[in-house]
Amino acid sequence: MSYTLQYGQIWPYLPFLLDGALLSLQIAFLAFCGGLFIGTLGAAGKTFGGPIVKRLINVYVVFLTNTPQLVQIYFLYFALPDVGILLSSYVAVLIGMTLNAGAYLTEIQRAGFESVRQTEMEAAETLGFSRAQQIRYVIMPHVARVLFPPLSNHYILMTLGTSMAAIFGVEELTGRAFNVNAETFRSIEVFSVTALMYIVITVAATAILAVIGRVLLRARMRII
Amino acid sequence: MLDRLIEEAPQFFSYYNVIFLGKAMLATIGLSAVGCLTGIIAGLALALVRLPTGVLWWPAKVIAVFFTELFRRIPFLVTLMLIFFAFQLTGFDLSLFVVACIAVFLIATAFLSEIIRAGFEAVHRNQWDAAAAMNFSLLETVRYVVLPQAWRIILPPAFGFFVLFIKDTALASQIGVVELTYAGRVLNNKGFSAALVFGTMLVLYFAISYPLARLGVRLEARLAKARHR
Repeated sequence: MSYTLQYGQIWPYLPFLLDGALLSLQIAFLAFCGGLFIGTLGAAGKTFGGPIVKRLINVYVVFLTNTPQLVQIYFLYFALPDVGILLSSYVAVLIGMTLNAGAYLTEIQRAGFESVRQTEMEAAETLGFSRAQQIRYVIMPHVARVLFPPLSNHYILMTLGTSMAAIFGVEELTGRAFNVNAETFRSIEVFSVTALMYIVITVAATAILAVIGRVLLRARMRII
Repeated sequence: MLDRLIEEAPQFFSYYNVIFLGKAMLATIGLSAVGCLTGIIAGLALALVRLPTGVLWWPAKVIAVFFTELFRRIPFLVTLMLIFFAFQLTGFDLSLFVVACIAVFLIATAFLSEIIRAGFEAVHRNQWDAAAAMNFSLLETVRYVVLPQAWRIILPPAFGFFVLFIKDTALASQIGVVELTYAGRVLNNKGFSAALVFGTMLVLYFAISYPLARLGVRLEARLAKARHR
């Protein structure tokens, strides 16, 4: 055990790593937005759709939530070229994460939709709200408040999940950490700095999301 | 493409490949099991440490909070790399499987301690006070009063975490632990088509994860019923 930590050597690489962190955030954000879109459609289909639609969505959700994201992306990245679809690593990771997020967010949002009580809807109907007004004034505020905490939680998990992109050579935070490690051989230093960056990112994201949730939606969330 | 898969399949499912996959599957299951079991024990310990109010407990509390917050906010891949390189430096000659087990143990402890703590908090304050009034020590309170009520709340999210966790162990392939994902890459490098190999991996993971997920859903339904009796 004669190893001295030398953070000085990776100091010059800090901007390089921070750039990677931006890409991580970008991937997480894009995948989350895509996932939210799929999830909303899926949850709507599961709540209002016919039996066939429900079954199809169920197959999608169950299969995607019970297999590792890593292997799903492996499949997209290595198996799709066989049928002539060539994806760049960035696109493959993005699609994989989006599909995966879509499955989880379908489940989360379905639970939110179900939390709207029948009596609330009936009350709105009695007051003469049209369908659009019901959605705008009764369902949306309620669902947004219930859904915001689990959705922001999943967003944080997805930010951590973007580290998987490094395995496919995407130059995000972890990917760049691998590169710096290969150049300097200061493994512990590089990865501890990377870990610290992830901690800062997620703590900041948690705090910002909690403030937004509290102020805009009066959701019950702990800021720290 | 399909005819190519059918052509390759008999070769792919040869005797030795099946044994290789079986062993890899055992490694995946073993890794998850080690993580979950040690994680429950250590997570319970961390949740317990956060309970007492005395000043002397402050350092332990701070460490517990720090530990849980830290490892819940570092990606599993980065934790794996850190542990991997840290053990390389200390000079202990551990197998990769053991290194992965340690990383898995740390992550599982952090997540499960948070789940267990939430379960403790869900038990009504009056229950704690009543136990204190009956002169129960803190450990007795937890053992006889809190845990019998809290486990119903703890179990469903814990199961959800187990299922997530099995899939996370796929990342252990990155430090060279021979588990399912690694086996898939080896077979792919041998020349089997990626669709066949990774399709099989997906099915195998599904076979491990799905029964557990179903069990979790059923347990949740049964426990919820028992709670609202």
